[in-house]
Amino acid sequence: MNFLRKGVNRVDKALFEIYQSPRLPKPYLIVGWQTRDVGKLSSKIIHFLNEKLEGQQIAEIKPSGFFPLGGAVFKDNLIQVPESKFCACQKNDLLIFQSKEPKYEWYNFLNGLLDFAQHYCHIKELYTISARPSLGAHTTPRRILTVYNQPEFQKMLQGYGLEDMTWEGPPAISSYLLWLAKRRDIPGISLWPEIPFYLAAGEDPAAIKLTLSFLDSRFNLGLDLGEIDSEISNQNEKIAQLREEDAEINEYINRLESGLSLNEEEQVKLAREVYEILEKRD
Amino acid sequence: MGIRLFKEPELEKPDLICGWPGIGNIGLIAVDTLKGGLVAEEFGEIEPWDFFYPKKVSIRDGLLESLEFPTNKFYYQQLRRKDLIFFLGEEQPTEGESVYATGEKAYQMANLVLDVAEKFGCQRVYTSGACVSPIHHTVKPRVISVVSSDKLTEEVTRYPNTILISEMGGREGEGVITGLNGLLLAVAKKRGLESICLMGEIPDWLSGSPFPYPKASKSVLEVFADILGIRVDFGFLDKMVAQIEEIVERLYEEFPLEIKERYDERKFVAQAKPGGITEEDAKWIKEHIDEFFKKRGEQGGQSSV
Repeated sequence: MNFLRKGVNRVDKALFEIYQSPRLPKPYLIVGWQTRDVGKLSSKIIHFLNEKLEGQQIAEIKPSGFFPLGGAVFKDNLIQVPESKFCACQKNDLLIFQSKEPKYEWYNFLNGLLDFAQHYCHIKELYTISARPSLGAHTTPRRILTVYNQPEFQKMLQGYGLEDMTWEGPPAISSYLLWLAKRRDIPGISLWPEIPFYLAAGEDPAAIKLTLSFLDSRFNLGLDLGEIDSEISNQNEKIAQLREEDAEINEYINRLESGLSLNEEEQVKLAREVYEILEKRD
Repeated sequence: MGIRLFKEPELEKPDLICGWPGIGNIGLIAVDTLKGGLVAEEFGEIEPWDFFYPKKVSIRDGLLESLEFPTNKFYYQQLRRKDLIFFLGEEQPTEGESVYATGEKAYQMANLVLDVAEKFGCQRVYTSGACVSPIHHTVKPRVISVVSSDKLTEEVTRYPNTILISEMGGREGEGVITGLNGLLLAVAKKRGLESICLMGEIPDWLSGSPFPYPKASKSVLEVFADILGIRVDFGFLDKMVAQIEEIVERLYEEFPLEIKERYDERKFVAQAKPGGITEEDAKWIKEHIDEFFKKRGEQGGQSSV
């Protein structure tokens, strides 16, 4: 292992490539994962924020010890490089971290992430962004389910229209990070916007907009979300057209709208048809 | 990476008895039953996060209540004849896809366990596991031993129903005890501690099955009871044995007649000799077992939060 933590209050700089010193007074940390990125929500939001708020890459966690480096992965003809980047949005006092889930050593990776954010950037709150598939229809309003690591922080964020989650099972990396932040007394929240399952393989601009609206309101970012509105209308139109053309698909969505469920075969068919129509007509 | 001791009992040259999961969970069940029967008291643990991923998160009304990791706990008990330290690991640390300990983490874990044992004056270490054997499932499993020194070979042959691994034959005197049940013994020997591995026999065709093999755990436990001069209540273990026997019998009943006949020869021939069934028979049995458990249904994958 090439990374040895040297105590809670110190940052092991050997773990990082640091390009710039952060000039962030007391930033909020936003974390998005590119692995298991349902509806590409996390990647889209991080990209949107970095683009609109002029995020500058200030550091990265070196991949060695966390990602397999026995060769290069390629996807769609392109070489993929494992990147775990910190970007600073100075005007808005945001620190944004984006990465794939490490393959190895989650504990050291996540502690490294928090070491840098806490001791080098002095963050005050943590926000993780993931999404989860829901069995609802795309025509029903989206919800953001949430998990907090401190009751005081939960109280503080009342009034944003977030919904509390209750759940038991295998933890996602966001929950692991939230737990580690709790041990460091960093208030944190995991945002889990719901995405209709048949949009999970593609994108869900409605869920993206809802999540960005929350961040906009929480951090006073002054974001213009108009371009997402047009993506939502565009997507809704395409699905409406599909419903007109395909009575079976229409019936499936009608059932979801009435709160009824579909069997596995029907779910797969709906997801495939919707994915194809959205991909094809894009 | 640390050890947390909640209590520092005064122990006199305790023996360390360890159990980790493995084939048929033979060692783990034996050691856990012994620990439970002796009402051994928990006194410490190895912090899990450097070795394991969390296995469960509990979230209630929006609050993250807990994150559970596989446990790695120390227990102790003082008997009339001997003080004991138990270590039970819920999982083996691994750096790859294997379920058995591999790599640097396994070595670190072995050393941490022995650090605690030596702190309390331990001079002898026992581990327990499975020995895959060409035996019939109706035969009482023997306990196969591997030890750290010649001096101990004499001792273990005095244990009931126990033989040295060399007496099994067919291995040209060599072999590997996979995972921490083996590695710990090697590290202990390097530190100058006596080490003994007691492995319960499991029929070869059951070694890949997803259920435990408590019949072999019972054999191991009987040996521990003899070593420690104690009486053990086998009630719970006997119930477990009966339940598993039922499943095994059902599998066996589905063997084609000719395989059954060849396999049944194992009841009468020396257990050391592989045989009774051919390679083709073994292949059929393996596929049959896989099919049997597939038919009983698999739980679908679960999402994570």
